[in-house]
Amino acid sequence: MNNKYLTVTAINKYLKSKFDSDDNLRVVFLKGEVSNIKYHTTGHIYFSIKDENSKINAIMFSGSAKKLLFKPIDGSKVLITGRISVYESTGSYQIYVDEMLEDGIGNLYIAYEKLKLELSKEGLFDSKYKKQIPKMPERIGIVTASTGAAIKDILSTIKRRYPICETILFPSLVQGDNAKDDIVKNIKLAENYNLDVLIIGRGGGSIEDLWPFNEECVARAIFECKIPTISAVGHEIDFTIADYVADMRAPTPTGAAEMAVPNISDLINHINNLNVRLNEAINSKLNYQKLLLDSIKNSYAIKNPLIMYENKKQLLDILLDKLNKSLIKKYENFKHKFELIKNNYVLLNPQIMYKDKLIKLNNLIEKLELVNPLGVLKRGYTLTYINNNVLKSINDLKKEDTISVKLSDGEFSAVVKEIKND
Amino acid sequence: MTNEKEVKFEDKLKQLETIVNELESGEIDLDLSIEKYTEAMKLVKQCDEKLKSVEEQVNKIVTENGSLEDFKVE
Repeated sequence: MNNKYLTVTAINKYLKSKFDSDDNLRVVFLKGEVSNIKYHTTGHIYFSIKDENSKINAIMFSGSAKKLLFKPIDGSKVLITGRISVYESTGSYQIYVDEMLEDGIGNLYIAYEKLKLELSKEGLFDSKYKKQIPKMPERIGIVTASTGAAIKDILSTIKRRYPICETILFPSLVQGDNAKDDIVKNIKLAENYNLDVLIIGRGGGSIEDLWPFNEECVARAIFECKIPTISAVGHEIDFTIADYVADMRAPTPTGAAEMAVPNISDLINHINNLNVRLNEAINSKLNYQKLLLDSIKNSYAIKNPLIMYENKKQLLDILLDKLNKSLIKKYENFKHKFELIKNNYVLLNPQIMYKDKLIKLNNLIEKLELVNPLGVLKRGYTLTYINNNVLKSINDLKKEDTISVKLSDGEFSAVVKEIKND
Repeated sequence: MTNEKEVKFEDKLKQLETIVNELESGEIDLDLSIEKYTEAMKLVKQCDEKLKSVEEQVNKIVTENGSLEDFKVE
């Protein structure tokens, strides 16, 4: 049955999640009066904001508090941007303050914030558009009032640091209703004067005094300006729209002059240093070349030129020797071969070949004689033919057959009279 | 308006730095080294003269009609 009762923690957690999921509470613009303000050692500020009828607790953490442009006290009228959430431990809701501005000039701030957001979204503050400020300008333009601290500070700083450059002042209104148009006109005019850098600014003053530098037309003129720009409006803590758009923001007019020009004594030192390095470099080059030359002059070959000749001569002799030797060897080889051929047995006794053949021929003739049938006839044998065939058997004969008988020196025919078998 | 005939001081200084670095590298031959050295000495002289020129600083103001006049802070 206890289940329907929530814990305190649970309800506070629930409420916190309700607050946190509400878009209307995530960014709250609130105006009122500060009371019960306490500056904690951690840097956080605890206070309340109230009006005639109501109040709300507020906390500003140190990170946001550092960016405060004024020190709020009890009774300060303020404009607050923050979010509302629940602090669970005490079950109290409060506003967590991101930004707090003094009211009274509140409308200006709202316009400032709005324009800043717009231009930022449009990309006018993007670092990719920032031009490089030249290190050693020859001609510097200044858009500011011709009287007052700003121009004085700028010119005296330039004179002290870098008197070799030229400055051109574009005298401009820097406060009041007409100031913005005058500043814009002068920024555009400055483009015709071949300037290396353009300083745009004024000395310190109230937020209203600085206001022209928060105007949109001035911001756009600075953005479109082809000359690298340095903004220098008011004091260190004053941030204007012009500061965001300019290629570089200087905290003060003096600061702008310091950014615009180098210190001439640094440059003189630098040049002297380069001069020393230059001489050292060329001297070391010359010394090196001299050493090289000396070492060549003292080299063995230069000092003893004949050595080279002698070496070559010796080589030539060796080569000549080799050549001779090889020629002689070749000649002797040929000679030897020739001798061998010349002394060949056959060449010396050509009849050998003939005699040999003659003997062989006679042998063959004798052998042939032996087998010649006619030779047999010479010794008294005869050949008997019957019907042109040699008669080899008595059986091939009949009585009254005509046979022919061959002798060594002729032949005759005969008729068989009688047959006797052995 | 443009200073076309004259090289800008910054460019001269850069040129000078480049030559010094080249010479220090020791990678260029003697003839060229001497040529570069002579050139660099000219640049040193010019830069030096420019920096030490003690003329009064030129401050001008643009007048209503766009012309330039000398300007002195009051």
